[in-house]
Amino acid sequence: MWTRKAAFTFTGGIALILIGMMITNNQMMILGLALITFIVVNSWVSGHGDIEVQRTLSADNLYKGDDLYVELLVTNRSNRRTQLLDVYDNIPHEMKLRSGLNQMRLNLKPGESARIRYVLRCPLRGHYSIGPVSLRVRNTFNLGVEDMYVDHHSDLVIFPQIKEVEEAFLRSRTPKMYTGATTLRTPGQGSEFYSLREYVPGDPFKNINWKAFARTGDLMVNEKCRDAVTDLYILLDSRDVSRIGTVLKNPLEMGTVSAASLAAFFLKRRDSVALSIYGDGLSYLPPDTGDKQYFKILSSLAGVKPEGSMPLQAVTNSLSGRFSRGSPVFVISSCEGDGTVPAAVRDLVGRGHEVTVLSPSSIDFERLVSRIPRMSYEVLKLERQNRLTTLAGSGAQVIDWMPDMDLSQAIMQVRGF
Amino acid sequence: MAGEVDPQSDVSLLGGRPRTLHLKMLRKQWQIITLQVVATIALVWMYLEVVSTYVVNSIDHTMVFETLESLVGEVPIGDWITGEGRQGLARFYVPIILGLLLGGSMALMAFQSPKLQQRIKLGFIILLMTSLVGRLLLTWVPSMIFSLDFRAPSEGELQTLEWPLLMILSLMILFVYLLPVIMGTRGIWGLSRRSIGWAIGFTLLFLGIHAILTFPLIKSQLGDWGANLKTLETQVSDPTIGIFGFDLVTPEQLSLILIAVLIMVFQESGFGVIRYLEYAYRLPESCKRDPEYVKQMDNVLNGHLRHTAGFLTVTGLMTMIALGFHSVLLEIVSSSTGSQWAAQVSESIELSLTYGLVISALLFLSLVALMRFFIPWERVWGLIESLGNKTQEPVEEKKF
Repeated sequence: MWTRKAAFTFTGGIALILIGMMITNNQMMILGLALITFIVVNSWVSGHGDIEVQRTLSADNLYKGDDLYVELLVTNRSNRRTQLLDVYDNIPHEMKLRSGLNQMRLNLKPGESARIRYVLRCPLRGHYSIGPVSLRVRNTFNLGVEDMYVDHHSDLVIFPQIKEVEEAFLRSRTPKMYTGATTLRTPGQGSEFYSLREYVPGDPFKNINWKAFARTGDLMVNEKCRDAVTDLYILLDSRDVSRIGTVLKNPLEMGTVSAASLAAFFLKRRDSVALSIYGDGLSYLPPDTGDKQYFKILSSLAGVKPEGSMPLQAVTNSLSGRFSRGSPVFVISSCEGDGTVPAAVRDLVGRGHEVTVLSPSSIDFERLVSRIPRMSYEVLKLERQNRLTTLAGSGAQVIDWMPDMDLSQAIMQVRGF
Repeated sequence: MAGEVDPQSDVSLLGGRPRTLHLKMLRKQWQIITLQVVATIALVWMYLEVVSTYVVNSIDHTMVFETLESLVGEVPIGDWITGEGRQGLARFYVPIILGLLLGGSMALMAFQSPKLQQRIKLGFIILLMTSLVGRLLLTWVPSMIFSLDFRAPSEGELQTLEWPLLMILSLMILFVYLLPVIMGTRGIWGLSRRSIGWAIGFTLLFLGIHAILTFPLIKSQLGDWGANLKTLETQVSDPTIGIFGFDLVTPEQLSLILIAVLIMVFQESGFGVIRYLEYAYRLPESCKRDPEYVKQMDNVLNGHLRHTAGFLTVTGLMTMIALGFHSVLLEIVSSSTGSQWAAQVSESIELSLTYGLVISALLFLSLVALMRFFIPWERVWGLIESLGNKTQEPVEEKKF
């Protein structure tokens, strides 16, 4: 495609030829002809041969706020020069360049490669894709430009941040959710015998069953049953109302951080954790333990978007039958715009669950983006206090979570209302 | 502890200072300097071509000075500066050098701090005012004070204004004549697009005005003064310059082609330098130190140099062939057929006049443009390059 400069040069050339012909002036005609010739000669060569692009990421999964190192290797596989080539790696607009640059102007010889290295900061959780790679070939004299792209994508998941909450749980009045160790009939670390199996290199010597070795002549090791302490249910509110606040600070963001941190804490203790996210619809991850479950939970949380208006009562009605008896339930919700929360909590408590409501203060989040008159703020705050008090009266532990408060601080502030 | 400090990846381990894309370093890079020198040579050459074609012995500055001297009096600038008394193009040698120096100093000033620039400008204005009215004030004011008489300056005192006024007028005449050189030099070395635009614009403006003034109808109205203006009878004379055994253009046409090509060389080199330096300037600090960016900047600059030399030479040659294409066609037809028809056509004056020339030239250029669809130039050149190319495998660096 011609650039503006080429169009002007061509038009100028034609105009000079015509004017030169009109007034029989050779200089004008020759200047015009030279300009047209310049365009013609430059049209012979077009850039960009066979470009191969390879992107390497420092990680496919990151936590929110982490840095991502990206390296883009651009190779000219053709037998000609690329000419003036602008390479631009498209990055999601939510990510910010921390160092380096995601573009380069280059002119690769046949077979030559160039590396573009840059670092991205990932301030928002989510599922992202880096790419495609945009290529813009320019004529040396900026007479022609051609845009293309290489459809090369790299997917990555940004998990919510994990906060350290162990100390908070030790010191808080949050329910000590030990319903007694349960033996699961699956091999793993535990105390009860599960089975005998052949020794494989790497097994600790203390697990070797010497009697079995003496009997069979083969090295055998004892396998134990995995102990799980409890099943924990996390209900996360992702309704549209949870977007109140800024992009980085809103009830949903804080909710995902707390859900991820709680899950990490309990999974580390070898408990089973279930996650239910409700908003537009209901997604439910059955209770399980281990790294796989941890990854599943983080992946689910990474993709949460604020939408829908499903009430909590609908969630509990649908899921309470699946909850293990007496297991603790964490409800993470701002409790705004949902009149069914007290009834749902009452229902859960009535079924013998230990319910903890972690409620990010949406009024205070709203204050971050818009000015609320003091009187209105006080009234809204009072309404919220009443709502939380009602929940506490239903038998739940209620945590009023302010925007500037750390998760561990919030957990330690559990009070009976 | 010094022992624990590793060299950074951008530090050259091959000895010497690490190359970066900081402007301070980039401005000293040989490709940038070469482009600037090429642009300057093209500017001076273009100016000399324009001057020798249209101005010398016609409307040159020495003639203006002579007229001025005959009307007012001796011009205070020495003849060795103005070029009076010299013949032909030699009249412009010293003024061009002065223009280059002035343009260079203006470029140098552009890189100084705003405070220093302001001081220099202030100093220049004070110098100008002092030289203009200084002598008058030094004679007139003390004489009033000592005689205690408030009076207008006398004839003799007013004559002290003559020299500075003539000096400023002469300098202004020289400045106007040298405007393309001064502004062009300032643009190239001071990295100013506007100045380069001024230099090109002023040259084109001059060519345009000259074309209008030499239009027969207007020229006849200008009388004796118009008779001084040079007109180029380039069409009807026989071509003597050519390539591949074909006589394509007249020396006058070659001069005009040269002007056109040199304007393009000047423009593309001057703007090219600014474009690349701007790109380097906008890069973040980490990229300026990245050897990959440095290497690719080298590639880009080398490519620009190659294209400037190659494409603009080819442009000149193609324009020559385009202008002489009608004669080439006729020569081919007459030599191949030897027919009477070819002889008759070759004698047709219409073909060698404006319309025939332009139409045949545009026909040739259309054919040349179509050639891109038949000859894969990029592949041909790529093949030639890859034969002699010994691209090294990229060095594996530590991974994160």
